[in-house]
Amino acid sequence: MAEMPFPQKRRIVLPPYRQRARRPRSVRAREWVRRNLFPSLGGTLLTLVSAGIGALLLFGILWFVFVDANWQVVTANRWLLFAGSFPHDQEWRLWTAIGVVFTLIGLAYGTWSGLGRKDHLFIALAGGFIVFLMAHGGAQIWSSIWFLAAILLLYVGYAVMVRMPREPGPTRRWQLRSVGALLALSLPIALVILMVGGGASARQLDGFILNLVLAPVGIVGGLVVAIPLALGRASSMRTISWTCTAYIEVVRGAPLLGWLFVALFILDDVIGGDLIVRTMVVLAIFTGAYMAESIRGGLQTIPRGQYEAAHAVGLNQFQAMQLIILPQALRISIPPMAGQAISIWKDTTLVTVILTLREFKGNADSAIAQVDFIDDRIEAYVFVALGFWIVAFMMSRVSQRMERAQGVGER
Amino acid sequence: MTTESTESPASVPKAQAGRRGRLAEAPDIIITKGVSKWFGDFQALDDISLSVKEHEIVVILGPSGSGKSTFIRCLNRLEEHDAGRIVIDGIELNEDVRNMQTIRSEVGMVFQQFNLFPHLSVMRNITLGPQKVRRLPNQEANQLAMELLARVGIPEQADKYPAQLSGGQQQRVAIARALAMQPKIMLFDEPTSALDPEMIKEVLDVMRELAASGMTMLVVTHEMGFAREVADRLVFFDEGALIEQGTHEHFFENPREERTRLFLSQIL
Repeated sequence: MAEMPFPQKRRIVLPPYRQRARRPRSVRAREWVRRNLFPSLGGTLLTLVSAGIGALLLFGILWFVFVDANWQVVTANRWLLFAGSFPHDQEWRLWTAIGVVFTLIGLAYGTWSGLGRKDHLFIALAGGFIVFLMAHGGAQIWSSIWFLAAILLLYVGYAVMVRMPREPGPTRRWQLRSVGALLALSLPIALVILMVGGGASARQLDGFILNLVLAPVGIVGGLVVAIPLALGRASSMRTISWTCTAYIEVVRGAPLLGWLFVALFILDDVIGGDLIVRTMVVLAIFTGAYMAESIRGGLQTIPRGQYEAAHAVGLNQFQAMQLIILPQALRISIPPMAGQAISIWKDTTLVTVILTLREFKGNADSAIAQVDFIDDRIEAYVFVALGFWIVAFMMSRVSQRMERAQGVGER
Repeated sequence: MTTESTESPASVPKAQAGRRGRLAEAPDIIITKGVSKWFGDFQALDDISLSVKEHEIVVILGPSGSGKSTFIRCLNRLEEHDAGRIVIDGIELNEDVRNMQTIRSEVGMVFQQFNLFPHLSVMRNITLGPQKVRRLPNQEANQLAMELLARVGIPEQADKYPAQLSGGQQQRVAIARALAMQPKIMLFDEPTSALDPEMIKEVLDVMRELAASGMTMLVVTHEMGFAREVADRLVFFDEGALIEQGTHEHFFENPREERTRLFLSQIL
């Protein structure tokens, strides 16, 4: 085809830019303070007021955490809160699972991006708080040691992967894929460690563990349901698009609580199975409906030219979707889907209403029902809130990372 | 009529005369007969019959809304025609999806808005078609892509993403992407209309080179200089109908139809 060599373009070489002196650091610092804190009379007032409120809050919180609060309710009930009816003699399974999952998180972070200063600070604060609570009871120094060991594993995994070469190529692709696959398998692996060979039964997954098991299933299952739903709703075939629209509208039209009762009463007759499995199905169905709408939003932003170009190079409908349209649409839907993921994470507390499923918050209710801790409900709920916040914050950070990592080649 | 067309077209050079002779004997690679298309009640194409010979370069002119883009988009079924027949390289373009896929992989297209895949590197933009449709091994696809990038003059941009390139560079990547499928026919839908003036030339240069290499080309454009220099035949569309066609001498010196004259007077 190329009979005639194409003439190479001569490149124009420009002289390098003249290096100009930057403003001195002290000037820049003063400028920053003036602009961001004291831009005007009103701005100065606002800064002072918010600083005052912040100081008061901080003081109040510190006072509560270190002086006022009686953390006995948490330390004495930590097993109940975290693991509930998980058999005590199988504790090693818990720590092994935590160790494995933390290692995988470390590996993934090392492969995909770096840990920033904020991440280290977060790990130190959250870890420190958890160790403080565990050590507070005094009895079991080993749990603190195991927990710190798990964090150490996270950093080891991170340190190993972050030193791997990152040049794009087959090695890097293999790295990304294997770590991605391991991370996707982390929940099944953890469940195997917890349950197989004389471990806990499904009903003994309890407390915080139950939330940690339900939410990822809801999120991943939701995504699996959502992609075909979104594509179906956008389909030009009316029967398909109407069916998908009906699904989405019906599922979104009723509260999650209602669907959980469906899992409890109706699904029992329809599909049977363990209650925890039915709950997972309902969470996936529910999350899927919301995520489908996010993905549809993403699909609508893809210009028609992308479909046309994909078809013009000869890709068929399926290939065009898989290689061109969906990757772009999913990237755009990361922020709303992260919102839904965090939302379903917190909504796992609702399974408490199905009385036989006892998760983190439900177990906190039982903890403060004990005579000894009847006055310590604030401590118990603060702890629960913090537990949820830690994971929610991690999810939010991860979604930001994903967004940035996928941001290359943005329009 | 044409107040400003003082420049007289050059007489037909010998090389061109020889080319015309060869073209006259070449077989038709695109045959369209009575093609019509409606958007709702609006008739976009009205009974178009146009055949293109192998290695021929046809430039389609016409005011906006005249159906020229719609026509070439029908040729690889980005639009479906409602009536008439389209046969490309002996394959009838019809409801048969396999025919459509075959034709699409033999017909390359370059769009006004480039339509590169923004989430893929320049390299991947080019290799995707050959790998997924032609089942070319990675190594060969990459090699082909590098050759094509060298041909369009930007081999050093292979690992960048489309958004990092200038408009002219993006359009050249788009041409390389279309060429990677080793098409027999290239369709250009106003390839320079979205470009800054200084970038138009670099894209036209690539198209000239392509024309010289013997590619069959259908070009919708407003670049009269390019049309005059490269086109074997000019075709004028208006209101969805094919009004007039002929060589550039015929067109620029002595157009037959009033509407053609009016259009040329406005554009020249």
